[in-house]
Amino acid sequence: MTYNPEKLVIEEKVAGSPLVQRILSSLPGIPVQWVVRLDEDRKRETGKALEVVKFRGRFVKPCPGTRSYNCCGYQIVNFGYQCSLGCSYCILQAYFSNPNVRLFANLDDLIEQLEDYLRTSSRKVHRIGTGEFTDSLLLDHLTRLSELLVPFFAKQSNAVLELKTKTSQIDLLEKLDHRGRTIVAWSLNPPEVIEREEGAASSLEKRLEAARRCQEWGYRLAFHFDPLLAYPTWKEGYTQVVARLFSVVDPSVVAWISLGSLRFMPSLKAIIRRSHPRSTVLDEEFIPGLDGKLRYFRDLRVEMYAHLKNLLLGVEPDLCLYLCMESNDVWREALGFTPAEKGGLPTILDKQALEIVNSKF
Amino acid sequence: MLETESCSIQLNQIDWNDTSCLITYGPLPHKLVLSIQSTGLIAPPLLQSKNNGFFRIVCGGRRLAACKKIGLDSPHCRVLTGSLEHQRCLRLAIYDNVAQRILNPVEKSLALAKMSHYLEETRLIDEFMPILDLEPSIALFNRYVGLHNLEGMILHALATGRLNERIAFALAKQEQGDRLAYARLFQELPFSVSVQEEIVELAEEIARKENLTPEQVLSSKEVRALRKTSKKPARQRAQAIRKHLQDRCNPRLAARRDRFGRETRDLGLPRGVRLVPPPYFEGAKWILECTFERVEELANRLRRVVQLADQPELQKIMESKIDV
Repeated sequence: MTYNPEKLVIEEKVAGSPLVQRILSSLPGIPVQWVVRLDEDRKRETGKALEVVKFRGRFVKPCPGTRSYNCCGYQIVNFGYQCSLGCSYCILQAYFSNPNVRLFANLDDLIEQLEDYLRTSSRKVHRIGTGEFTDSLLLDHLTRLSELLVPFFAKQSNAVLELKTKTSQIDLLEKLDHRGRTIVAWSLNPPEVIEREEGAASSLEKRLEAARRCQEWGYRLAFHFDPLLAYPTWKEGYTQVVARLFSVVDPSVVAWISLGSLRFMPSLKAIIRRSHPRSTVLDEEFIPGLDGKLRYFRDLRVEMYAHLKNLLLGVEPDLCLYLCMESNDVWREALGFTPAEKGGLPTILDKQALEIVNSKF
Repeated sequence: MLETESCSIQLNQIDWNDTSCLITYGPLPHKLVLSIQSTGLIAPPLLQSKNNGFFRIVCGGRRLAACKKIGLDSPHCRVLTGSLEHQRCLRLAIYDNVAQRILNPVEKSLALAKMSHYLEETRLIDEFMPILDLEPSIALFNRYVGLHNLEGMILHALATGRLNERIAFALAKQEQGDRLAYARLFQELPFSVSVQEEIVELAEEIARKENLTPEQVLSSKEVRALRKTSKKPARQRAQAIRKHLQDRCNPRLAARRDRFGRETRDLGLPRGVRLVPPPYFEGAKWILECTFERVEELANRLRRVVQLADQPELQKIMESKIDV
């Protein structure tokens, strides 16, 4: 479903920014409220307004991992936050009290900070994504941000961009000069889970069709089985998803696939019960993890990861498969090795990224 | 300045049904009865005359009840002479009580609820919550204000300190049948406050998963059996019920704990050596505890442990039992 806000709330100081101009021309006639500065304490009940502000913080930040589990060393570029897809398990519900989607209009600053970061960082290669605090492509028809970011990364010799989405809004990607350095990634779940738990997100078929088209346009792809959800027929469900995935996608264009089971801050539990009464995500048993988040019991996680690993590597043994936020014992039992044995998780994924940036396109 | 006159009032002239200014709740303190019995009424209660010829109690309800109990028929009281609006009478009652003692949670609830007819919420929170020793917050106000509507059994437990207000807040959200089921269990067996909270959470979770009500969970065959094992001390029964609910709510963890217990026994660890899994079996850090009195004892035990560490059985204990 396409995101279309009912109202715009825009800070006056970004009125002339190209982003605001693009949004206004994409939504003719939409009510606009101009404000000097958005009042952070104002209660917003609807979540139907799109807020556009000047961002005063750091656009590029490391992914907020935890020391207790293996973290992949990903960098995030925040162009905004919140999401309107309405997935029952979405952590953003607990992270942000503001239900409105917010975009940062000072994209010149974003690019400047990104350039600065890529120039000064000592790392050989950078994996950078935009899909941490919002969906990477949900608003692309309004923001046309991909037209800025994809060509920018095409010029970088030490970085790849990952656009993570649950939508099929990829139209703008077709004509872009990406030089293989943008990876388009989808979060995948069985159709019955998508229908019940993922609100207005695209169906599995639409996501896979979008992936097929991106593959056709030469993009690398990635897939995230995250969150993996346990429900009575999860084995069959995920088996079918994997079969369907590789009936559409050529495994050789897949940069990586991640597996991560459902985990959430305890405060999200009450929100899910209140806001998503039909959801069954809380039906399984949860234990407090080393990071304080609630997770499935480890034996179930191992079982799920091992099942997915067998399915995925059964199709393509060389797939780069990793676990998101898991401990060494789970890695060892589910995948047969720990990240440290291969130099650490960031190194494993950086190797993939280096291959991508160094490949002839 | 309050205008009053002193006079002796017959107890049958008091409208005992008019509790509009009463915020006291709970059993009559034995010491109060004893005090009036031995020294008489030191501080006279404050009354207000009503149109029907009776008197309304403004302050001193418990003192008058004590008089009634010991048969002191015409206690000396003060009666308001001028007309005093009800809100002011209620305010007098609240201030009179908080000046003398700490109110119990039911009384705090009554004070807030009765005063809420006259004052808007913010003023009530700002003025009255601090004098009731409550943090002035809307969330806490909302929890307290409805507390006095709970069933007598729960109110009594609250007023006598046998039920913590945190639990009462949790019970207030429940259906009546569930609430009373919890209250009965908590009266029957000694659970700490945090365990009571855990029990409420567990029973709710089980009820959701098994499509039952919490009342049905607490009256299930297994729980009933554990409640009635009269040979066991109450504390052990409480512990057993908690464990049953935990296991029922977390069957995977319970099964793993059982397996761990079984396999650890079979492993044959030497005496004084204990293997401790990480909490919830989460993470890779296991602990081996060894207690000893003499160095030779330590050496023997460690030698045996080293032998066991080479056995595949120990590795198996640390892993899940799935066929990867």
